Amino acid sequence: MRAIKSSRWISTLHPWQISLLSVVSGLFVWQMVSDHVIANPLFLASPFQVLKALLRLMETGELWRHVAISAVEFFAGYAIAAVLGICIGLLIATNDFAKNWLQPWISGFYATPTVALGPLFILWLGIGVWSKIVVVVLLVVFAVIINTEAGIRSTSERYLEMMRSFGATPRQLFFKVSLPSATPFILAGLKLGIGRGLIGVVVAELFGSRLGLGRLIGASADSFNMPELFAAVSILAASGIAMNSAFAHLEKRLVPWTKD
Amino acid sequence: MSKLVSDGLTKSFGDLKVLENVHLTIEDGEFVALVGPSGCGKTTFLRTVAGLESADEGAIYLNEHQITGPGRDRGFVFQQDSLLPWRTVMENTVVGLELAGKLNGAEAERVRALLDLVGLGGFENYYPRQLSGGMRQRVNLARALAIDPKVLLMDEPFSALDAQTREIMQAELQRVWEEGRKTVLFVTHQIDEAVFLADRVLVFARRPGRLLEDIRIDLPRPRNMATKRRPEFVALVDRIWKLIEKDVRESVLIEKI
Ligand SMILES: Nc1ncnc2c1ncn2[C@@H]1O[C@H](COP(=O)(O)OP(=O)(O)OP(=O)(O)O)[C@@H](O)[C@H]1O
Ligand SMILES: [Mg+2]
Repeated sequence: MRAIKSSRWISTLHPWQISLLSVVSGLFVWQMVSDHVIANPLFLASPFQVLKALLRLMETGELWRHVAISAVEFFAGYAIAAVLGICIGLLIATNDFAKNWLQPWISGFYATPTVALGPLFILWLGIGVWSKIVVVVLLVVFAVIINTEAGIRSTSERYLEMMRSFGATPRQLFFKVSLPSATPFILAGLKLGIGRGLIGVVVAELFGSRLGLGRLIGASADSFNMPELFAAVSILAASGIAMNSAFAHLEKRLVPWTKD
Repeated sequence: MSKLVSDGLTKSFGDLKVLENVHLTIEDGEFVALVGPSGCGKTTFLRTVAGLESADEGAIYLNEHQITGPGRDRGFVFQQDSLLPWRTVMENTVVGLELAGKLNGAEAERVRALLDLVGLGGFENYYPRQLSGGMRQRVNLARALAIDPKVLLMDEPFSALDAQTREIMQAELQRVWEEGRKTVLFVTHQIDEAVFLADRVLVFARRPGRLLEDIRIDLPRPRNMATKRRPEFVALVDRIWKLIEKDVRESVLIEKI
């Protein structure tokens, strides 16, 4: 009887209320575990300690300097990868020579954990932002290329045939059929790139940097400052979530035909 | 005048002779239905008229001009509606004009009237996924009519629809056709649909695909549900069925093996 009642109560909640409830209970469990199970702050920081560390980092202004550098690295790398990825994807989807020429490299790089090349780029480009930007580009670009190509190639022959019967030129076929039908795929590739790009920034900074969230994580780990480490990670998590939901809005605007 | 002539059309895919020496003339404003067993080349014939396939021998002429490729003097209504999912009903309907660079305010108004004619007034801004199968086929028809073609080519346009919707669409097509009297080539498997709609029914045979009979349908217009119960109607359907029965049985058996 009680179970039925409580499930009714659950079903009256909005989806976002359920998600909020889930986060709050997660934080609660985390707090309990760090208070009573792993009470050693060398191993686990509690949510309150993390919050305090976050506020302290904000107050001293240290956080913003790290965030600013990481943001520059991420957005510069991401933008380059998006433009490059879409262009190369469109090229190999429409030109068989380019496809055969580039395919082994694309498959190879996509399957390789290219973050491992981070130290090499630091050697070549120094420990400034450029070595990080290159790592972000490498991590993001192949996901975009592969999705763009798949999108163009999966264009339904039915649509192309229909447009041909109305006398469409190859150019019109590309811009009025292939490109719009590939848009959801391209967006999916770009969305995939967000997470990969964030990983790229952090790992590349860990290999060597003066500033950035990855640098903050590395330094906190070295000094066993768990609250600061978690503070940096939660900033990354929050920006990942924010960018993903911004993307969901963008998708609704750009491809309104795919959803209600 | 838009006389359509097939002069000895022959077409093979590899070793398979799909159409052999098809001679026929379709007069301006005639509604012609094509029936025949599966695989006899009806779609291939229609696609050749549309300019989507080329002839091996012989040729198709529209008003004495040989057809060499797709053109906006012919409008194709596909079996599957092929509506672009990212375009609204209105945007889908104007696509032919848009490709020709002829889309302007006056034309858009004309297309709007056309959507009213096919019973889609008020649905201009709907996306295809928001429409029923019958409505999608109406858009498919309106899209072909929008380019104001001389000839309308329809390949089993109602085959994906349920029986009731199909009856309604047949009546609607007849009404739309009465308004404009375009030349229509209509492929169907339903013999009663062919007899109901057409001025002439062309019966095709298979292996190789060829014209078997050319049957004039002199039932008075406008035709309605009562027409389908008239003895002449039933006799015509019966006669056409007898013509293709043997071929249909063969085609079904061969396809099963
Ligand atoms: N592009 C193609 N390549 C090879 N063979 C083809 C091609 N298109 C059609 N055919 C063959 O040509 C024959 C006639 O096909 P078609 O589609 O014109 O028949 P149909 O009369 O429209 O049949 P249905 O009534 O089943 O639609 C079939 O045997 C088919 O397999
Ligand atoms: Mg067919």
